[in-house]
Amino acid sequence: MAEKTNNDADSKLIGLLGQFDDPESLVAACNEAREAGYKKMDAYSPFPVHGIDPAIGIKRTILPLIVLGAALSAVFVGLGLQLYTNSSAFDALTPFPGYPFKISGKPIFSIPANIPVTFEIIVLTSAITTFLGMWILNRLPMFANPLHRISRFKRVTNDKFFLCLEAKDEKFNRSASEDQLNKWGAVAVEEVRQDLTDTDLPKWIPTAAILGAILLLLPPAAIFSQWGQTNRHPRLHVVPDMDWQHKFKTQTMSPNVANGRDEVDLLYADLRSARRPVDGAIAFGSLDIDSELNYGVKQDFAHTISFRSNVRASLSDDSKKDEAKGTEAGDEAPAAEATENMEQWVTTFPQGVEVTEDLLTRGQQRFNIYCAACHGYSGQGNGLVNQKAMALAANGDATWTSARSLHDADVKGDAKNPVGRIYDTITNGRGNMGPYKAQIPVEDRWAIVAYVRALQETGLKSPGADDAAAEETKDEKSEEVSEDENSEEEKSEEDSAEEETKEEDKAADDASEEDKTEQEKKDDA
Amino acid sequence: MHETRPAKITSPVVSLGNGYIRTIPVAAIVAAVGIVVSILFSGGLGARFMHAYLTNYAFLLSICLGCLFFVTIMHLTRAGWSVTLRRIAELYAMCVVPMALLFLPILITVLTSNDILYPWVDGGWSMGDGDASAQAAGFVNTLPVNERPPFEQLKYGFLNPGFFAIRWVVYFLIWGGMAAFFLFTSLKQDKTGEAKLTHRMQAFAAPAMIVFAASLVFSSFDLEMSLEPFWFSTMFPVYFFAGAVLSAWSTITLTALWFQRTGRVTDEITTEHYHDMGKMMFGFIVFWGYIGFSQFLLIWYANIPEETFWYNWRINYPGWKTLSYVLLIGHLFIPFLAMMGRTVRRNRNFMFGASIYLLVMHWLDHFWLVMPHYNHYVGGGIEGRGWPTFNPIADLACTVGMIAAFIAVFCVICRDRPLVALQDPRLGEALNHEVH
Amino acid sequence: MATTVDPHGLDNTYDDASKRTPLVLGGLDYQGVTETACGFWEAEKAPKIWWILLLMAMSLLGILGGLINHLLMSGVGVWGNNNPAYWGWPIVNFVFWVGIGHAGTLISAILFLFRQNWRTSINRAAEAMTIFAVVCAGMFPGIHIGRVWVFYWLFPIPTEHLAMWPNFRSPLLWDVFAVSTYATVSLLFWYMGMVPDIATFRDRTKSRIGKFIYGLLSLGWTGSARNWHRYEIAYTLLAALATPLVLSVHTIVSFDFAVSQLPGWHTTIFPPYFVAGAIFSGFAMVVTLLVPARALFGLEKLITLRHLENMNKIIMATGLMVGTAYGIEFFIAWYSGVQVESYAFWNRAFGNYSWAYWIMISCNVVIPQLFWIKWCRTTTWFMVIVCIFVNIGMWFERFVITITSLCRDFLPSSWAYFTPTWVDIGMLVCSFGLFSTLFLLFCRFLPVIAMAEVKGIMPRDGHH
Repeated sequence: MAEKTNNDADSKLIGLLGQFDDPESLVAACNEAREAGYKKMDAYSPFPVHGIDPAIGIKRTILPLIVLGAALSAVFVGLGLQLYTNSSAFDALTPFPGYPFKISGKPIFSIPANIPVTFEIIVLTSAITTFLGMWILNRLPMFANPLHRISRFKRVTNDKFFLCLEAKDEKFNRSASEDQLNKWGAVAVEEVRQDLTDTDLPKWIPTAAILGAILLLLPPAAIFSQWGQTNRHPRLHVVPDMDWQHKFKTQTMSPNVANGRDEVDLLYADLRSARRPVDGAIAFGSLDIDSELNYGVKQDFAHTISFRSNVRASLSDDSKKDEAKGTEAGDEAPAAEATENMEQWVTTFPQGVEVTEDLLTRGQQRFNIYCAACHGYSGQGNGLVNQKAMALAANGDATWTSARSLHDADVKGDAKNPVGRIYDTITNGRGNMGPYKAQIPVEDRWAIVAYVRALQETGLKSPGADDAAAEETKDEKSEEVSEDENSEEEKSEEDSAEEETKEEDKAADDASEEDKTEQEKKDDA
Repeated sequence: MHETRPAKITSPVVSLGNGYIRTIPVAAIVAAVGIVVSILFSGGLGARFMHAYLTNYAFLLSICLGCLFFVTIMHLTRAGWSVTLRRIAELYAMCVVPMALLFLPILITVLTSNDILYPWVDGGWSMGDGDASAQAAGFVNTLPVNERPPFEQLKYGFLNPGFFAIRWVVYFLIWGGMAAFFLFTSLKQDKTGEAKLTHRMQAFAAPAMIVFAASLVFSSFDLEMSLEPFWFSTMFPVYFFAGAVLSAWSTITLTALWFQRTGRVTDEITTEHYHDMGKMMFGFIVFWGYIGFSQFLLIWYANIPEETFWYNWRINYPGWKTLSYVLLIGHLFIPFLAMMGRTVRRNRNFMFGASIYLLVMHWLDHFWLVMPHYNHYVGGGIEGRGWPTFNPIADLACTVGMIAAFIAVFCVICRDRPLVALQDPRLGEALNHEVH
Repeated sequence: MATTVDPHGLDNTYDDASKRTPLVLGGLDYQGVTETACGFWEAEKAPKIWWILLLMAMSLLGILGGLINHLLMSGVGVWGNNNPAYWGWPIVNFVFWVGIGHAGTLISAILFLFRQNWRTSINRAAEAMTIFAVVCAGMFPGIHIGRVWVFYWLFPIPTEHLAMWPNFRSPLLWDVFAVSTYATVSLLFWYMGMVPDIATFRDRTKSRIGKFIYGLLSLGWTGSARNWHRYEIAYTLLAALATPLVLSVHTIVSFDFAVSQLPGWHTTIFPPYFVAGAIFSGFAMVVTLLVPARALFGLEKLITLRHLENMNKIIMATGLMVGTAYGIEFFIAWYSGVQVESYAFWNRAFGNYSWAYWIMISCNVVIPQLFWIKWCRTTTWFMVIVCIFVNIGMWFERFVITITSLCRDFLPSSWAYFTPTWVDIGMLVCSFGLFSTLFLLFCRFLPVIAMAEVKGIMPRDGHH
């Protein structure tokens, strides 16, 4: 020690360290020091000595408050994380959209199920705050402490107790303080000096730090160098039998199981790798024995249709003509030659279909998607496809049978077209019109039927030349199939304006249409 | 540093003195008036009154059992710090003997095959599941056992009046025996100061704890879970236990504060003890919440009809829904946040208020456990009726009356007995107890 | 300071209510505690037995690596998991290990809050054991997910590639959070508790590498009173956080089972019952490890018979809690009147897995009752045998819960019998290799005894 402290310029006095042999004398000395007026001092011991905090005037730490704050904010973080990730409500605000799960019938944001994770996040946050907060408040880690240079001080982690009076204290006096420490029972007193000659960082540290930083940067740099690149190599298959499974995929051909190269010995003669369902197998949820609901045919006539064989029960005269032209409608139903039996169609909506405002709204929406392209938004047969096709046909560039106006006298009414027949038309098509049963589920077809009846009740007439002119102004094709209700309403209104039937309020209109439809049903009954 | 105090009681007064003579008649009169008023307002000695009675009985019994647990666990862990508080718990535990008398109204109801309280005493409870038409057909359904539905026949093996009575005799023998052993051994030690008595109590505590646990499990099934014989939850005894211990901790703290304020106990119980009691209360608030939440979550998540309906009554119907939220917030969140700090736990006024508050919450907890059953079976169906049991005067009068009766009983048991263990070998530890 | 051990002077299991039994024996002073605790670490050469044990443990660890490699290359089909028993041994092993990983934090946190001073001699080793057990536990569900290389899908990490988030309503995800939080907090708690003792190592080591590493790890700790003040409060806070955490972890593990509707799994007592079982098995593991360790490292004066006796009493008490829970489950299975539930329990006891059930009952409920006899709970070799049985029983408890319920669910046509493969058995056995390797290294290179805490509870004149 002595040879280090001979030059005052090389080192600075930090304080005086007194050594004690047991905790009681340390506490006693601390009390004495406080009474003597010392404020800047610290005691060192191998274990926490109780009673020392008031003796050297340590105030209670604010650590618990910090942790409480962290815990409270973790409540919001935990709940917020789950709220955001499991719902789509915040998609506009965040770069990564949420993913709403519908699990075991629970609401998307179901608090009881979110408690465990929230709790764990609170505990994790609080624990990390406690841990880091404690070290930061203690100003640790600090490796360059002059105390560590005193060999006697090494026993502070073993069995000795120390009191350090700091030189910064107003009361501090090199020799007087030493006397006091001795008087208070210090076994030994030693100077704590900070070595001023050796304050620079060891030279290897910056080099090592830079090297370490570069090494740490390598992996992210390697990853970013590949960002947006296309890799021509096949990817690594960690578990090959998971990537190449022994199974046939859909829409593939039957494999060749022949031994020789040139032979062909298909596993399945019909070339398909997948087997067809057994005859009479019915897909889940598609048991359509209710002929009224599924075919629009009265139960009494149910025997005339062949269920699930997808053969049309009847064909109109139109379709016979189409057959002659070789359209697809003919291909589908070669056998059904019988004249149409108008008695078979149901005249009221079947059981299970309630005509309500919701149904009409749905029907309108579906109609505008599937039907309006040809039939027009108001059902006058002036859809955009129809107009373009007619224009081409007029030039001789195409053949086209015009779409029917739903308001024609020979289309309207229960006698010509009971609801069952309209339903059948949507389902199986009629004339040039193709079948829509693959695209539109049963409920939606009935919704469209209801909407068509409502349209017909509006009293519109078949289109004139003005109509077509008005439609031509709309040249944005995308809008035609758009589901956007606003644009649909606009168009409907324009259509209606042509006929001077002001439809200002769509909802009110629907309601009145509904009334009419209800009335119809009653009449039918 | 603190001076070490000598390990003996120095203060002159450590008993109720003459206080109990004055208290007993007043408490007895209040008890009688309360019960009578409650009977009048609930329309006679019927189902309404019996449910209020059961609520309060369960509340008071759980306090006694919690105190019995306190005594047993302190011996089991050879605790030194709690020695000066132990006598209070011993006295409360002893109250379980007069509680056996207060159980008679419930027992008589069951033994006379009167199903105003427990529907299982007669057949027919499993039919209709509380639907009004089944009840209109006759709530009192005295089918012979062998003609009841198989479900009822099965449960009748456990839920029948005779076996119920036998079980309760056994429970009271166990509890009374334990309480008497601890109290009288401890009183004997007051005179002799023998350390071997402590050893004897410690040796007794271990097997006693096992028997106590078993009796607590089945008594909680009997007392409150079998009110709804359909329902079952293996967690129920633990839930009952958590509430019981929390209320015992509160009662001991409250009583200790009362004794100190009236000068009957002076410096034997220190702020350090209240701090520790506060910690224990805090711990059991969390434990109660943990058990309650776990039970709820498992039933809510699995959503099996035979379990879920019990919670459905309590969280989906007006009135009960509010009460459930009151319990969640008032029994868990508020005390959790309020009792977190060290300073408040060392504040006697705060601890006084907190003890009363927690006891009120514990009472509400039992109300919440018992009363929906009244709605369901007797009050004409819980559906659509909201809170038909709302009869505050009957409930309040019954509560006041029963608590007064309990206080009278407690005073009888205290008499002039010392309120602090006088010569426990670990007294020094308790007197010098310091929370680090 | 006496260096030889006198076995008669080390029996502090006698009971005297008028004075507290000393927890440090042999008249050790502070210096003595330090030297006893550091004795094994300071030894120039580790004893042969340590090397032999380490070799064995590392061999098992090597085999474990091989088995995992085999699993990854071949897929989970190498396990015995079959159609109804999707959760085979991997989940049984997971629950087993994570249960064992509860004792350490329990001793450190709950016993600290209850001011049970005897914890100080054993808490460090128990905490270390906790962390190593959690490492073993975390491994099993990790490899059970099949495609280990996408394990990060378990965490809520935003990825454009996946465009998905974890399902926060699934108890399995709660498990991810619970176990990873538990591992992190246990590690922080363990390390923070160790810093003052690592500082002792720093001040005593003679090697340069040791000085550097221990110096770095001890963060420049000086034992200043201001530091101690914050340190103690932080320690209390961590204990207060770890206590509900340790309960929540096994509670959430029990939710994995209990939120389902499977008979035998869906029962509301699972949370406290699992926690009691975890403490039970964890303490048994601590005793199993500490009895040989104290003999090997000469720690009889610090880890006294009293400590072991106390732990045995806790084993007995938690064993009874677990037994009570078995009883309640059985009673309620009957009382509920639900057929499938009653059948599930009948099947456990008398069905084709009854052998497992009765192993469980005898190891968990019957054998620990031997601890009522004082000789049994104070004789070291005997208590180790009992504790090994307890751990066997607790493994079988998880086996019974997991396998019997899965193999006998609602639909009789999907009933099956689970048979483990050699890979299953190998992984369970070799996981002990991972555990032992870590524990043996810890014993040699880190402070096994919390010296600062032991010194803090030593009786002193003039201070109570």
